[in-house]
Amino acid sequence: MKPLILHGHERAITQIKYNREGDLLFSSSKDNKPNVWYSLNGERLGTFNGHQGAVWCIDIDWTSTRFLSGAGDNTLKLWDCETGKVIGSISTNSPVRACNFSYSGNMAVFATDKSMGHQCEIHIIDVRNADESLSKAPPILKIPVNGHRVSSLLWSSLDETLLTGHEKGEITQWDLQTGKKLSNVTEHDNTITDMQMSKDGTMFITSSKDHTAKLFDCDNLMLLKTYKTERPVNSAAISPILEHVVLGGGQDAMDVTTTSARIGKFDSRFFHLVFEEEFGRVKGHFGPINSVAFHPDGKSYSSGGEDGYVRVHNFDQSYFEYGFDY
Amino acid sequence: MPTADDVKSSWADEVELEGGALPPPTEVRENGFKILTEYKYGDDNKKTKIVRTYKIEKRIVSKSIALRKTWAKFGESADDKPGPNPATTIGGEDVYMQYVTSKEEDNKVEEDGLDKLKLVAADKAVVKCRTCNGDHWTSKCPWKDTALASAKTVDGEKKTPQIQAQAGDSTIKSMTNKYLPPNMRGDGAAKRIDNAGMSGARRDDAIAIRVSNLSDSTTDADLEELVKPFGPVNKLYLAKEKQTGQCRGFGYVHFKFRNDAVKAIATLNGHGYDHLILNVDWSKPNTHSNQ
Repeated sequence: MKPLILHGHERAITQIKYNREGDLLFSSSKDNKPNVWYSLNGERLGTFNGHQGAVWCIDIDWTSTRFLSGAGDNTLKLWDCETGKVIGSISTNSPVRACNFSYSGNMAVFATDKSMGHQCEIHIIDVRNADESLSKAPPILKIPVNGHRVSSLLWSSLDETLLTGHEKGEITQWDLQTGKKLSNVTEHDNTITDMQMSKDGTMFITSSKDHTAKLFDCDNLMLLKTYKTERPVNSAAISPILEHVVLGGGQDAMDVTTTSARIGKFDSRFFHLVFEEEFGRVKGHFGPINSVAFHPDGKSYSSGGEDGYVRVHNFDQSYFEYGFDY
Repeated sequence: MPTADDVKSSWADEVELEGGALPPPTEVRENGFKILTEYKYGDDNKKTKIVRTYKIEKRIVSKSIALRKTWAKFGESADDKPGPNPATTIGGEDVYMQYVTSKEEDNKVEEDGLDKLKLVAADKAVVKCRTCNGDHWTSKCPWKDTALASAKTVDGEKKTPQIQAQAGDSTIKSMTNKYLPPNMRGDGAAKRIDNAGMSGARRDDAIAIRVSNLSDSTTDADLEELVKPFGPVNKLYLAKEKQTGQCRGFGYVHFKFRNDAVKAIATLNGHGYDHLILNVDWSKPNTHSNQ
């Protein structure tokens, strides 16, 4: 396969996401301008200029009309996807680390860092008629998090619950009606770096710095599968059409300069969803992969790395014909 | 009326005229391709010509996607022309998914275990080769596929002692735990290469066949269909024209088993396929004869 290399960022990629139909690919990085690309030919549609700090998280609603980004400049911004203009901006007390539109697109959630003397908080906001007044509107729900900070989050059970992954490896399920904890599991030993839902919304995959990615049931947080590697996993995604997962990782950014790219093992690794067995690798990045995402049609995938590049790969025929020997 | 531009007496004048100025970039659209030609000065101050070829495709998509395709670019991309901007979108080098099986790794562990076993009971022949009586599996025998294997029944008795001596030698050397540079490790090096050949690249070459005189319209699927009946195939490669995707007339097939490859060559060479007569042979006769 011939990857498309998207070079729109000057610093490490923090997150990449496809929209629902997969024609647009969004990327954010530690420079302050999230980008949007046509996933088919790698043409850049535009950049969202306005943040003053590293952009940590992005999301796109299901109609692909509004785009959400949270950044290290203590703001969460809602953008018009077509024009790249800011619709509304919310100032927070600390950097915004994770954000997501709800399944319906009516609400959005974001989590702030525990820093500068402020506690980690989860905010749920109404974005139905969002405009400039967004900054003044009170959140629907504000959940203070007493324990470790939230590093990743997801909506689950058709917006009835919220799943959060934490710094020390806990996963918490929150009831949105009451704002209370429903359940809590600690299966990871280290920071949960990414959480992604399966296509049908019944399972989600977590990736962690403890060198594993794990598959959980959304309802009861039961650990279903574990994918083991020998290095921190920064992101994991589930194929929408095949029983495959892709893991992206590498060692910590601070250790990269001390190791060569060859032993760094900065390749995307493909595991079988059920057998937990690795079957394929794709090379390309010069640094650890920070984010991976499958195209919603399952025929291509993208990865964004510490090297600042996003690589869009269209799978070869051999990938679809690859069969497992049972 | 002729203008100054029309009259160019010689190429030398032309070069002089151009002087520091570069020819303007051009954009040509022809039969489904967009060809962008650009000139610039490279690092060594030499004029370089950059030709980028884009394929223009039409796709049928849902209305919402089609609508989004018409959106105006914004932000840093506001000034970009339609189509990918070469500054931000780069066509990458070909990469392939490397298929790995944990079964291979399992085998390696097994082999290690076997080596230890060999060291512990060096004199007790735990494993015995049916071909040369060496202490390895018959399938791993270095004399496999050689005259010895077939001659075994005739004068096996004469050759085996010599081979055993060799095998003994190598185990003694590997027992002494002193460091030896790779080029000094006579037997070890040979053995290692042998091992590599057994499990990896060389074996692949040995059972790769080259199929040529294929017609333009041949596809990967056609080639696969053609060779499938002979046995399991490890890898298939069909040489294709970069732009048109048409077959360039030849391809390589890596069989899993040697016998299948032999069968395929015997059957397919001279076989009529798609109004052409196929040419089929080993892909690299050199490595083949080396073995």
